[in-house]
Amino acid sequence: MKVRRVTTTEQALEALAEHGSAAQPLAGGTDVMVQLSRNEISPDVLVPINDLAELSTVETNGGVRVGALVTHETLAKGALGSGYRSIAEAAHTVGGWQTQAVGTLGGNICNASPAADTLPPLLVHDAELELRSSGGSRTLGLEEFLVGRRQTRRAPDELLVSVGLTPGAPRSGDVYLKVGRRSAVEVAIVGLAMRLVFDRNEIVSKARIALASVAAVPLRVRAAETLLEGEALDGHLLDEVSAAVLGATSPIDDLRASATYRRLLVPGLVRRAAGVCARRAGVSSPVEEAYQ
Amino acid sequence: MSSGISFAVNGRGVTAQIDGAATLLDVIRNDLGLTGTKEGCTEGECGACTVLIDGKPVHSCIYPAVSVDGHSVVTIEGISDGETGRAVQEAFWDAGGIQCGFCTPGFIVTVAALLENNPAPSEDEVRIALAGNICRCTGYSQILDAVEVVVSGKERA
Repeated sequence: MKVRRVTTTEQALEALAEHGSAAQPLAGGTDVMVQLSRNEISPDVLVPINDLAELSTVETNGGVRVGALVTHETLAKGALGSGYRSIAEAAHTVGGWQTQAVGTLGGNICNASPAADTLPPLLVHDAELELRSSGGSRTLGLEEFLVGRRQTRRAPDELLVSVGLTPGAPRSGDVYLKVGRRSAVEVAIVGLAMRLVFDRNEIVSKARIALASVAAVPLRVRAAETLLEGEALDGHLLDEVSAAVLGATSPIDDLRASATYRRLLVPGLVRRAAGVCARRAGVSSPVEEAYQ
Repeated sequence: MSSGISFAVNGRGVTAQIDGAATLLDVIRNDLGLTGTKEGCTEGECGACTVLIDGKPVHSCIYPAVSVDGHSVVTIEGISDGETGRAVQEAFWDAGGIQCGFCTPGFIVTVAALLENNPAPSEDEVRIALAGNICRCTGYSQILDAVEVVVSGKERA
């Protein structure tokens, strides 16, 4: 296996243009190196990009733009600010310190695991991906980017360079909740992210709900979001939201948990998440106390 | 096809010729003969292979060797030479934080990195920092005791 050494993003794009699907970009290596040793992937050329400093920055002018090489450790420390706590919470659960120190946001996105922790919170923040090739660049919504289990719309000559997030809003709160068998270094049995924006009368004006480990790709549940928008939070409404989430998901039995168990988790996660979002938005919540 | 890399190991400049997909662990143990770093799961789960890259703990068993070119690596051998590392090692010994010893180099490296960043961590912070290191012997209590000994600066009763 060859290594193509690059020192700029442009050189990396040239390498990808030259070798196409035979090339594998290599950032922190926490997924790629394991897949190589298991022979799950067999590229001819590795293109290490870990030292491309221009892809490691966070810009917070109005909206937020996160470089693809920003690490989970940086995100977990709250580098995006208080409006993006779900992303910090998710990054904090990706493996242990050793994984978070080198694992990158772009890697988590492009690996496209059904259980990827950062993807539900990115979905609730309407993440837009900037994909660049030597021929130009394009922007694609994360939802559209994710095609199937470990499948994305990244063309072989494209590199994910940054992720744009919707600007924070007043009276908004977000959260990522994860269920695993242990509290650290665990692949999610179910992961749920929620973001709620409230108006002055404590009515939900905008809702986003996304889950991991309940389908082939992490996904947003629009039917559930629509139920919340224009309403005040209450227990009955959240039962309907949970039913909508369950209707849109297709969990499977695997070695971590049964599909039945995953389904049983959803209502409690929905209620807890709504309560935390309300509290973080500074809105009174009728649902949080009983479920915290 | 081999590729040349040069980097610092425990403060000393080294060069190596590596195969494309070689791991940092391969280079440390096989090329440099530093066998204090252990190979456990080879999948980045157990933490036995932990080394520091630019001061941050990393699973060397799944870290690409090519990516340390131009960087600084510290292994358990280098940690042992430092004041913090020595204190951590002695505390593990005193508190019974070592049984079979296989996970110990990884734990010592991670604890030393934690204490370099945060000399007075809470127990929660210690537990979070050590989440990526697995020990099948001690049940972790004695390891937490050992870190407490170092943090408090007190001898264990």
